[in-house]
Amino acid sequence: MTVVKTSMRNFLAHKGRMALSAVAVLLSVAFVCGTLVFTDTMNTTFDKLFAATSADVTVSPKAAEDDDQGPRTGRPEALPASLVQQVTKADGVKSAEGAVVSMSVTVVDAANKKMGSDNGAPTIAGNWTRNDLKSMDITSGHAPRGPTDVMVDADTAEKHGLQLGDALRTIAVTGDIESRISGIASFKMTNPGATVVYFDTATAQRKLLGRPDAFTNISVTAEEGVADTRLKQHVATALDGAAGGPYKLQTAKEAADSGREDVGSFLDVMKYAMLGFAGIAFLVGIFLIVNTFSMLVTQRTREIGLMRAIGSSRGQVNRGVLVEALLLGVVGSILGVGAGVGLAVGLMQLMGSMGMELSTKDLTVAWTTPVVGLALGIVVTVVAAYIPARRAGKVSPMAALRDAGTPADGRAGWIRASIGLVLTGSGALLLYLTTQADQASEGSLLLGGGVVLTLIGFIVVGPLLAGVVVRAISAVLLRMFGPVGRMAERNALRNPRRTGATGAALMIGLALVACLSVVGSSMVASATQELDKSVGADFIIQSGPSGPIVPKAEKALRAAPDIEHVTSYKMIKAELTAPDGKKETEELVAADPTYAQDLRRETVAGELAAAYGKNAMSVGSDYAERHGVEVGDTMTVAFTGGESAKLKIAAITSDESNVDKGAMYTNVTTAAQYLPADRVPPNMIMFAKAVDGKEKAAYAGLKKALADYPQFTVQDQTDFKQGLKDEVGQLLNIVYGLLALAIIVAVLGVVNTLALSVVERTREIGLMRAIGLSRRQLRRMIRMESVVIALFGALLGLGLGMGWGTTAQKLLALEGLGVLEIPWTTILTVFVGSAFVGLFAALVPAFRAGRMNVLNAIATE
Amino acid sequence: MTTAMTIPRHGGTGGRTAVAARARQLVKAYGSGETRVVALDHVDVDINRGQFTAIMGPSGSGKSTLMHCLAGLDTVTSGEIHLDETEITKLKDKKLTQLRRDRIGFIFQAFNLLPTLNALENITLPMDIAGRKPDAAWLNRVVETVGLADRLRHRPTQLSGGQQQRVAVARALAARPEIIFGDEPTGNLDSRAGAEVLDFLRKSVDELGQTIVMVTHDPVAASYADRVLYLADGRIVDEMFSPTADQVLDRMKDFDARGRTS
Repeated sequence: MTVVKTSMRNFLAHKGRMALSAVAVLLSVAFVCGTLVFTDTMNTTFDKLFAATSADVTVSPKAAEDDDQGPRTGRPEALPASLVQQVTKADGVKSAEGAVVSMSVTVVDAANKKMGSDNGAPTIAGNWTRNDLKSMDITSGHAPRGPTDVMVDADTAEKHGLQLGDALRTIAVTGDIESRISGIASFKMTNPGATVVYFDTATAQRKLLGRPDAFTNISVTAEEGVADTRLKQHVATALDGAAGGPYKLQTAKEAADSGREDVGSFLDVMKYAMLGFAGIAFLVGIFLIVNTFSMLVTQRTREIGLMRAIGSSRGQVNRGVLVEALLLGVVGSILGVGAGVGLAVGLMQLMGSMGMELSTKDLTVAWTTPVVGLALGIVVTVVAAYIPARRAGKVSPMAALRDAGTPADGRAGWIRASIGLVLTGSGALLLYLTTQADQASEGSLLLGGGVVLTLIGFIVVGPLLAGVVVRAISAVLLRMFGPVGRMAERNALRNPRRTGATGAALMIGLALVACLSVVGSSMVASATQELDKSVGADFIIQSGPSGPIVPKAEKALRAAPDIEHVTSYKMIKAELTAPDGKKETEELVAADPTYAQDLRRETVAGELAAAYGKNAMSVGSDYAERHGVEVGDTMTVAFTGGESAKLKIAAITSDESNVDKGAMYTNVTTAAQYLPADRVPPNMIMFAKAVDGKEKAAYAGLKKALADYPQFTVQDQTDFKQGLKDEVGQLLNIVYGLLALAIIVAVLGVVNTLALSVVERTREIGLMRAIGLSRRQLRRMIRMESVVIALFGALLGLGLGMGWGTTAQKLLALEGLGVLEIPWTTILTVFVGSAFVGLFAALVPAFRAGRMNVLNAIATE
Repeated sequence: MTTAMTIPRHGGTGGRTAVAARARQLVKAYGSGETRVVALDHVDVDINRGQFTAIMGPSGSGKSTLMHCLAGLDTVTSGEIHLDETEITKLKDKKLTQLRRDRIGFIFQAFNLLPTLNALENITLPMDIAGRKPDAAWLNRVVETVGLADRLRHRPTQLSGGQQQRVAVARALAARPEIIFGDEPTGNLDSRAGAEVLDFLRKSVDELGQTIVMVTHDPVAASYADRVLYLADGRIVDEMFSPTADQVLDRMKDFDARGRTS
């Protein structure tokens, strides 16, 4: 009991010194809990949405299952309207209603402004049914009644200032639907961001499906007292052997579950990525906690010696420190759980500003969240304090008698050196082997091992490196500051273990930043090089997330002036039978013959141009080798939804390529022969070439042609490359943002080390002030020390990270990342930035040191 | 006093007076109301240039406070202190720090040296801080005088307690301050090491013309001084010139006895 009491008193007495450690625990726990609460809330939101929108039983075409992002045709799979009658006759059915839903649409206002979001939330068009009344209320106007009526969801209306009577154009593959807003409907629960428009059933069938006698699914409502699973059985019986079958039947629960699965897998990726970053922050926090307790134990050496002298056992001293750590962990974690909920609310608002609406009404704190947060926070803190606690236990009773004014230099021993060198060395070896690997899977294991080993190795040898690196940095930087600089250098060097651990904490975050920046810019450089090498087209026209390029837009593009040619590019699914009899389902690229100029491909046999001849095609070299295909062979190609064709192999393309690797080409007209007209998919992407010397005019012409279709973009090569760079840059920025947490904790670590050092050196500071060191000089000395520690961490981190990044690039060269580019601007910015971080970290400690009363400082024991 | 006049000095105002520092009506009080404690009670004192002055007194007599105030380490409640011709009680921290750096030397009882610097670096520290080059000839003479020539590259932890205090003495002397303050500089040393340090202090007064003020409670230490001031209850109650240890001890006993009977 006395142990606990003493620990409690110590904890309270030194709460100031523990504050930053508590903040570190708090931040890490908050990030974990925030992530959990946030993703749970998203799940709740989607659960509620899916539960409300699903009918008791939904009947949909089986084929819809295969298409993950909507069919390539841009038209939803449909079932015959007559099926509704059949379903209605089944036992237990109260009512059955045909529904039309298409997600391959874009809605624009009168000014051709897109109404949908750009960040993954779908735009959904459909017919207004009774089932929709379960999840929506019409808040103004009326439901769509005629071919020119459209009803829009209230969130979209509000976001874009839409009012009754405003014109909306809905663009589908089957054509545009021009209509005026007849009503606005509000979701009864949170709609995270989907844009929804409703038409009357006839309009929806005709315009979205292109045929008046079909639906995309049937919503079945059960009679009172009939369970959904029961109803499903009845409907299945009624539909047994029905035309166009078999069909997919889902109960409300199954539909909600499958909807959640889709969203859930995305949410899971996000959750685990964020938890990963929280883990890094925890790792960094460990250094801070170890440093804090080491310093507290050192400062308390005499006190501990006295305890030992009057009869405390080693175990008691040891446990005493651990109990303090436990208290720290508990306090930090409890605050962290609270802060985590706050963080989740903040994240929800952030998402709101980016167009993903979440409501705090759905805020979900599962009971596991605080449990996980507390357990993690406490366990990490206590484990981190274990080494300092053991050291405390080893303090001899003689320490009470010794004058332990300043702690002895914790010299890093040769054991540490050799362990560290062995680890670093074997890590480096693994990294070297990674660069020699010829298979990505084996290489990534080596890379992972190498990264972990070199990281641990660097952490272990950190204190030794601190000596060398700090001297080197000081030689360059601090010498110009004369004696103040020299004292700062000596202070940074006096306890290498402390400096090493503080720097290592910063090293971790910065190493990841450096590594990712190297990989990111290598990605951009490699892609740019590849584009320069192989793309002959001047312009690239891309479809949006809402489906392929609609025929009307294609027509407009083809009519643009100053264009030499426009190339179609369609993906068509087919089952191939190779000459060896093996069957494989593949996606063929059906393109215009000009595609051979737009994308230059090497061939290992035949001429690529010949593949666009009548009833001809090409295959990739890998496929050719696997199936023993040669030029001149004939393949059986069974187009999905169409006829079977015999196509002659006219060329074999080399698979030593990063663009269109393994693609099989055939002419659009060839494919069209074997497919019904509504099965020929629109273009996924298109290419265009300008008439020589008219590039500018052509670019402007193409842009103008797409003015009515804001969902498609046309870019020339320069803009395309820039777009690629921006995309990678954005991704990197998100990752840097998440790494910022680990870096903040590391900076807190620098502040912590300095603050505790200042306390520890009170007498020294007093002495220096007494013999004439001015406040300004004192503050400068502490700032210098901080800068040196920060630069030490930065140098190690950037060096290590560039090594990792370079290795990763060598490995990814197998996957097409052929060019290594080290982003020196980023690296230098981070390095210089670290110096400023050092200055910033020293602000408070330097201020406090400057304010110390000289006399009290001298008198301090 | 003639030797003092021949020693070139840094700082000061040029007009040399026989008094290096003087305090007038010096009051230092802590707290207020009922808990008010007066550490210095209207003290008037002159510290003579080129003399070794010892301040003695029982614990709580105010001797350390007096020294701290004279040295510009502590603020005063009222009264004036002149260092040469500079009135220091009104100075701001910045000026005061400069004054300590350029015109005053310190020797504390313990923890005099920075553990990260070697002996030589510790000695030249005040000048380094000021950005001044130490006068090499003078530095050599000081180092010779305190007998540290072969220990200059050692870190404080590699030096004995006596050696450490000698380094502190050398540091105080090296910058040629107008006045050196010692706060029980031999308090932590055994009698032999203490005697060595005191010898050097004596020598620096005799040979280098240094002014020294030393707080001590050791009669033997006080016997090295030219003049001993006795403090009790924040007042100067007596003084003695060219004392011996026995005389000092006797006087101390008198005070003790008086203190007990009164």
